[in-house]
Amino acid sequence: MPTLTIDNQQVTVTDGSTVLDAAEQLGIIIPHFCYHKALGPVGSCRMCAVTVHEGTFKGLKMSCLVKAEEGMVVTTDDQQSVEFRARVGEWLMLNHPHDCPVCDEGGECQLQEMTIASGHGIRRYGGKKRTHNNQQLGSFVAQEMNRCIQCYRCVRTYKDYCGGSDFGVMGSRNRVFFGRYKEGPLESDFSGNIIDACPTGVFTDKTYRFKSRYWDLQEAPSVCPHCSLGCATIPGGRYGELQRVRSGVNEKVNGFFICDRGRFGSSYVNHPDRRRQVRSDGQPLTVGDGLSKLDAQARELIEEHGPEAVLLLGSNRASLETNWLLQRWAAELGCRAPLLSAHLQRHQAAQVAAFDLSDRLASLEKVRQSDLVVLFGVDPLAEAPMLAVALRQAARNGALIMVYDPRPIELPCEVDHQPTSPAQLLAMLVSDCEPEIVRIREMLSEAEMPVLVAGGDLLGAEGLLRVKQLAVEQSNEKRPCLIHPILGGPNSFGSAVLSLPEQDDLLTRLESGRTKMLICVETDPLLEAPEGERFGTALSHVDNLVVFDYLPTPLSVHANLFIPSTAPAESAGSFINNEGRQQLFAPVTNPRLPIAETGAGNHPPREFLSTAPGSDPQPAWQLLQQLLGDMGDLETVRQQMATAVPRLVDFTNLQPGGVCCRVTDADERSLYAGDLPEQPEGSLQLVVTPARYGSDLPSRFSAKLTPRFAPAVLQMNPKDAAALKLAAGSKVSLDTEVGSFNLILNCNKDVAAGCALVENGAAFPHLVPGGLPSFCQVSAGVRDD
Amino acid sequence: MSTPQLLFKNRRPGETVFIDGYKATGGYQGLEMALKDSSPEEIREQVKESGLRGRGGAGFPTGFKWNFFPSGAPGPKYLVCNCDEMEPGTYKDGVLLAADPHQLVEGMILSAFALQTDVGYIFIRYAYEQQADYLRKAIAEAKAAGYIGKNILGSGFDFELHVHGSAGRYILGEETALLNGLEGIRPNPRLKPPFPATRGLFGRPTTVNNVETIANIPHIITGGALWFRDLALTPGSSGTKLYGLSGHFNVTECFELPVGIPLREIVENYGGGIRGGRKFKACLPGGASTPYLTAEHMDVALDFDSLEKVDSRYGTAGVTAFDDQTCMVAATFNLINFFARESCGWCSPCRDGLVMVRWLLETIDNGQGTPEHLEMLKDQLKNIAGNSFCALAEGAMGPLAGLLNHFEQEIVDHIETGKCPFRK
Amino acid sequence: MAQEEKIDQIGLLEEEELAAFIDHACELEHPREMVIDVLRAIQKNHGWVPDEGVELTATILGITPIEVEEVATFYDKIFRRQVGRFPIHICDSICCWSNGGEELAEQFQKTLGITFGETTKDGLFTLLPSCCLGVCGQAPAVMIHQKLYGPLQLDDVDELINRLRREASA
Ligand SMILES: Cc1cc2nc3c(=O)[nH]c(=O)nc-3n(C[C@H](O)[C@H](O)[C@H](O)COP(=O)(O)O)c2cc1C
Ligand code: SF4
Ligand code: FES
Repeated sequence: MPTLTIDNQQVTVTDGSTVLDAAEQLGIIIPHFCYHKALGPVGSCRMCAVTVHEGTFKGLKMSCLVKAEEGMVVTTDDQQSVEFRARVGEWLMLNHPHDCPVCDEGGECQLQEMTIASGHGIRRYGGKKRTHNNQQLGSFVAQEMNRCIQCYRCVRTYKDYCGGSDFGVMGSRNRVFFGRYKEGPLESDFSGNIIDACPTGVFTDKTYRFKSRYWDLQEAPSVCPHCSLGCATIPGGRYGELQRVRSGVNEKVNGFFICDRGRFGSSYVNHPDRRRQVRSDGQPLTVGDGLSKLDAQARELIEEHGPEAVLLLGSNRASLETNWLLQRWAAELGCRAPLLSAHLQRHQAAQVAAFDLSDRLASLEKVRQSDLVVLFGVDPLAEAPMLAVALRQAARNGALIMVYDPRPIELPCEVDHQPTSPAQLLAMLVSDCEPEIVRIREMLSEAEMPVLVAGGDLLGAEGLLRVKQLAVEQSNEKRPCLIHPILGGPNSFGSAVLSLPEQDDLLTRLESGRTKMLICVETDPLLEAPEGERFGTALSHVDNLVVFDYLPTPLSVHANLFIPSTAPAESAGSFINNEGRQQLFAPVTNPRLPIAETGAGNHPPREFLSTAPGSDPQPAWQLLQQLLGDMGDLETVRQQMATAVPRLVDFTNLQPGGVCCRVTDADERSLYAGDLPEQPEGSLQLVVTPARYGSDLPSRFSAKLTPRFAPAVLQMNPKDAAALKLAAGSKVSLDTEVGSFNLILNCNKDVAAGCALVENGAAFPHLVPGGLPSFCQVSAGVRDD
Repeated sequence: MSTPQLLFKNRRPGETVFIDGYKATGGYQGLEMALKDSSPEEIREQVKESGLRGRGGAGFPTGFKWNFFPSGAPGPKYLVCNCDEMEPGTYKDGVLLAADPHQLVEGMILSAFALQTDVGYIFIRYAYEQQADYLRKAIAEAKAAGYIGKNILGSGFDFELHVHGSAGRYILGEETALLNGLEGIRPNPRLKPPFPATRGLFGRPTTVNNVETIANIPHIITGGALWFRDLALTPGSSGTKLYGLSGHFNVTECFELPVGIPLREIVENYGGGIRGGRKFKACLPGGASTPYLTAEHMDVALDFDSLEKVDSRYGTAGVTAFDDQTCMVAATFNLINFFARESCGWCSPCRDGLVMVRWLLETIDNGQGTPEHLEMLKDQLKNIAGNSFCALAEGAMGPLAGLLNHFEQEIVDHIETGKCPFRK
Repeated sequence: MAQEEKIDQIGLLEEEELAAFIDHACELEHPREMVIDVLRAIQKNHGWVPDEGVELTATILGITPIEVEEVATFYDKIFRRQVGRFPIHICDSICCWSNGGEELAEQFQKTLGITFGETTKDGLFTLLPSCCLGVCGQAPAVMIHQKLYGPLQLDDVDELINRLRREASA
């Protein structure tokens, strides 16, 4: 812990800190370009120069490279340093076009800031500027190479950090070019990060171009709603439109970057079909009237038919607050406790994570630091994209990554993938002699910081418990063996924390015929429950369907009463991520119809209203508060929650955009260990996996992502296909317990033998990931349904 | 010629000596002696004693460098010979290899033995394809003679030697950029530390040495360290040096002469005076990156220490002379243009700073300069020198410093008359 | 062999050459170290490195085309655009400059009727400025296909060009 003096102020820093870090600790920001916390120092831009007066190496030094030493004396504001940095500013501006007025980076441009900070002001160079031709890089990222200042951050982000393989540096001297080998869409699932990493206007968000100036944009820290990792994001909105998302920073979770699903998957908020008004059997109502009607009807039904007549359904998309208030409202109404998920198996897996695994959960940061990561039943790019980037960092530090999964796993790093069917996976985890598990045990016992990543969808509650056994057995006094579970949705863990141990199935309840009114809060079981079609049929028993949602789901069209709620970016709330981190999000914009849509360009509007059009949606928790007749604000709700659910972190200790904390450990539940279904003779194991884009509902309703939506296919190991005499590329019929589907067959030798693989997504919404192991038949030809 | 000829012992115009000729004058005797009688430590000690300093330009004592090398570390280690030689005015390694390639081959084997590296690479520039062919042939001969391969001369020492071609960029001469080039990735220089001795080629311990440095090793082994030291004319120096003469000398050839020879001897005896009976105005004493010497430096001894005392550098001892009709602004512009064009594009002072300097010199040379331009030139020198990522931009500042030190009046003349005083 | 023919669709490498490169790539722990060798071999056969050459190199070495391109575009002596049959590298560094390099360069331009970076209409000659060629004692110098010529007088230019023309038509 050296103590050093910078600009006459003393500071003590941790070992290994650089002078730049030390200065930052004092609040002295030394201008810099090529240095980036996640990417590390490379010493190329030379902007961070300071003068070292006492230290091993004296003189003008790059503060990003020089380690802080005991007794060091440094100045950042002496003439030599100030003058040198001004020259660096001048050099970097040599070729830069003076096009700030038309550059989208303007206002949030590090080059603008650093040029000012460096003190360079007046152009003296009178020679020719170098110019470049730009490349078309697809629908997400725009390129304006003339603005490049060669800090190499883009390529270090895209290639080195995120593992993309289609982007690089070409040319040399003062003509280096950052781009693709040939024009075309960037292929990485993390391509958007170069927008954040680039300090100038070379790489900007194509989906947001020319929409707003940074200073006109409303931004607030948020949590990504697209998977269970809960990465930090900063959405930005203006005039009622959610215009973009950039990466937030949470060193425990995503670090500094996010995936493209998170970045470009936000346009569901502005979906043109989004319903923004309360509708009761087709008639518009005010929010107040809608809620009164709902309350009256619910009470009437319970009185008439008993507590089973009304069924409340929460979800993993709904915030912690919403799910909790739903429970309170149920108690108030006197009906049975709400179900907090339409997908029982996913919910049970989440409960195992939230209870049984709670004392051994690993954050994504721990994954990055691990030296051995074994994944059981997880396809990171499909289920938790930033996990793939975390694995890459571990691998870059020398970690071994092993994957046991039936899917063809692609990762941006070296990986030892053994195609393993779900049944094999479950069996190997409890085997003593299966060679792979013997190998895994051996390697785990030697690892210094092992992490097991367990996929809730594929392993189910039972599988997660088996992974836990392995972790317990492999922990010792020196170090634990941690688990990083992957769950179904952004608040799966939160719903599980709140839920009561006994949960029955939505379908069983509906099919009993006793439910007269079903109230779905931010969920559509038609798309999110495993047997959507059966749910559809069961709905016929229900007289009154009430839906709260911010997505234009099919169910919201069927609803007798529809009450619009706000999207996460439009409200405050909290989610608990897959490792139990209770994270808050702040409202970015108020819900209302984007100006771009009002008057169809006929601006200004001819009608003069006292409220903005389309501003009826309210946060679901707020709607529930009204149903409870409670006027308490969010703080009050949170206080009550934290008292009622002691595991939760006191909300006053948390902050949106902060690292946040984990909920406390809980006792085991271990409710679900049980017999698994037997595989019928001659069948294949059915594996339903989320598509990389468009499986979670918010991304499915995000138009910006459609270029990445993949067509529906069925994948099989070529040997299985040959045994069934099926040709790759041909049409096949997939027969499952829930129906038959016609699909095109793809053969891939990395699919585990004995498995049939389909992707759930926009092109194929019929089967939903997660659920008990199930089986199917695949045969040639098209079958008429 | 009074200077003993070590490196040029077998040199005859237009001829290349291969294994028979090489052995006839004592070639491979050093290797045979060393493998039989000496331990690697003893050779390293001898090289240290000899006072040999790197001939690639920086002049780092070779013995010191070798003693930092973790020769005992397990796993692959590499010896790399730097034959990039792309600094204008420097062509000695090319001449040496065209005359007598086996010297380098024997030197590589001996050095590898001293350092206990089992693989060697000779990284050679694109334009030296001829020399590369000679080297390939020499290596094949050495292999056939049992000097390369497994268990060399029964010593238990194994060594493989490869020739690796380049495709033309000066930065490849910088040792860490060279290692990237060898690995087949972009040849930007690497951040140091870690130094190549710890993490070099493919992340393994590596030593990079110049051709001439390595070619001296067999002679040090056979002749002894003290003899080698005594070859130099100035105290603290050692050995002979290849001086490549170029520019306006009457004779533009490469000579093997003692370290420490005075500039006057080079100009008058070896260079044969200045062409066309003109007067000597200035020279680059050791390649394009070394500050100019002028007529007042005639009696300065050409060695590492003496040249530092007059604010110049020994560099590669490639001496480029300029006659009294040379415009030093134009000459410096030409040199800066080289460095700006050869910048790898990694750091700002080099990639952009040199472009700025080039523009300033061009403006002044064209007669459009103002006193502010002169001030800016001084300011650029102050801020670029010592502050670039690698020594390329540092080297570029050599001639600029020389220009401002010795020929500021010439710049002023350009500015005041609005034209180049030397242009007709 | 049938498979190898497929990876070199436009015949940039001789069959044996290609096979040797593939074998060598399999032997090496770091096949990437061959990238310049392969690019130079392609250039030797084809005169320059077309996109197919970058892709072929990538296939042989088991890396991506961008990884090859990053290296190929760094070096001056790898041509990623078509050049004439005789690319003439004219040294413009200090020793050649001080020995009439500028006049020599002008003479070449006049004789061929093109400026630097251009190719003659007959596709025979491309003029390229080059940094020091390593024959500073024989300035001014030029290099054509790794062959060095120097010192050159202005009168030598015509003769050199004519000789190359004859070589081309032979
Ligand atoms: C831009 C630049 C170019 C260089 N070019 C060469 C070169 O062509 N040959 C060489 O031996 N050293 C060159 N060097 C020096 C090498 O980096 C290194 O110091 C040298 O090869 C070490 O060998 P030595 O100690 O035997 O001289 C160059 C250095 C720089 C910064
Ligand atoms: S493109 Fe942007 S991020 Fe990449 S080097 Fe240039 S300025 Fe930096
Ligand atoms: S300067 Fe032209 S060959 Fe050296």
